[in-house]
Amino acid sequence: MSFQSGGEDDVSDADATNGLSPVAPPATKNRNRTRSIGVIVVLVLAIVALLSQGILHSLNYFETVDQVLAKRASFGTETMRLEGVVKPGSIIRTSSGASFYVTGSKGEVFVTSKGTPPQLFQDNIPVVVVGSFTTKSSMKFAGTQIMVKHTASYIEKNPDRVKAPNGSVR
Amino acid sequence: MMKQLSQRLFGPLTLIAMGATLVLGLWVVPPDQVQGELARLVYVHPSVAWVALYVSFGTAAIASALYLWKRTRSEVMDRVANCAMEVSVVFIALTLITGSIWGRPAWGVWWVWDARLTSSAILGVLALGYLALRRANDDVQLRARRSAVFAVLVAINVPIIHFSVQWWKTLHQGATVFTSNRTLLIHGSQAWTLLISFIAFTMLFFWLLRYRYRLEVQRENLAGASLEEALASRRREGTQ
Repeated sequence: MSFQSGGEDDVSDADATNGLSPVAPPATKNRNRTRSIGVIVVLVLAIVALLSQGILHSLNYFETVDQVLAKRASFGTETMRLEGVVKPGSIIRTSSGASFYVTGSKGEVFVTSKGTPPQLFQDNIPVVVVGSFTTKSSMKFAGTQIMVKHTASYIEKNPDRVKAPNGSVR
Repeated sequence: MMKQLSQRLFGPLTLIAMGATLVLGLWVVPPDQVQGELARLVYVHPSVAWVALYVSFGTAAIASALYLWKRTRSEVMDRVANCAMEVSVVFIALTLITGSIWGRPAWGVWWVWDARLTSSAILGVLALGYLALRRANDDVQLRARRSAVFAVLVAINVPIIHFSVQWWKTLHQGATVFTSNRTLLIHGSQAWTLLISFIAFTMLFFWLLRYRYRLEVQRENLAGASLEEALASRRREGTQ
């Protein structure tokens, strides 16, 4: 390190030893930039990791019964998530799980699922079943997990509720 | 005088609104036809998410935009953005936690990687990223500018989360209140309690923001004071 400039040698030496000479500011700008880039890189990695958990594969979480029925051959026996409404009266609970029909507007699929269904599992409720068709062309679906996809409607449980002629409940 | 009174009353009023939500939600409103007692979480989770997404993250994004706009640029905006984002992190975490607690009994799973849940988790990472970015920069103006640009850019995720249940198929339910055809899917005492919960949690946010902001000002004053003190003691050394 040299502070030599013109005839001020003595002064600057004295200053340096006393530690009173102007200290060059630390390179904050560069350090800030490096750190900022570091933060952004970590963020991008974290977001890609989150997206890779499924959304990068498909933005849609499931296939509806109608979609599957329309293109049954393309699904084969691959593992998928099937969505439909539980057909009223079709639920048979077994020791290993449950069997039931899920319906769409154009048809239905028979599901046998292992494991205890969630507590809201019941007639007429929309469900998403994880599993696969038993053979390439069969309409029987072997499920490994049932998830209940409840609707966005909330209605108070009240026995005195009035039902309008058009069927809506208020 | 009025301002002072309203400031004094804001805390107690927030407490009353929170208390009303608690009493109405837990005891007064009857259970739901489909979800039974589980539906009582509708008085917590949506309002917490509302604050996380629109009120707090929104405040941080708007304050950041106002900082970037030359006519409204001030350290107040930078401070508001910082404080709102910190509160937002808390509310995003609460959204994910309460949603998970609701999901386990209602859906049968704690978590799924559908579009709504994944985009919400990403918002949490982005909010934490904002705070990390602030700590990475010690130059005050550089920090304010960089974090403001970041907040404005990542705010694009807010409408994505909002419309995720409409654009893609998700396990998460669609909108109950902000439906696309503007029909409310909740009525009577359930709807009223939901409205009160939205008001209560919004008030809670502003109450928290106010104290967080005050804390930030005090912290800056303290930092300024200790610098002054250091300079003064250095000067005293020089005169001795």
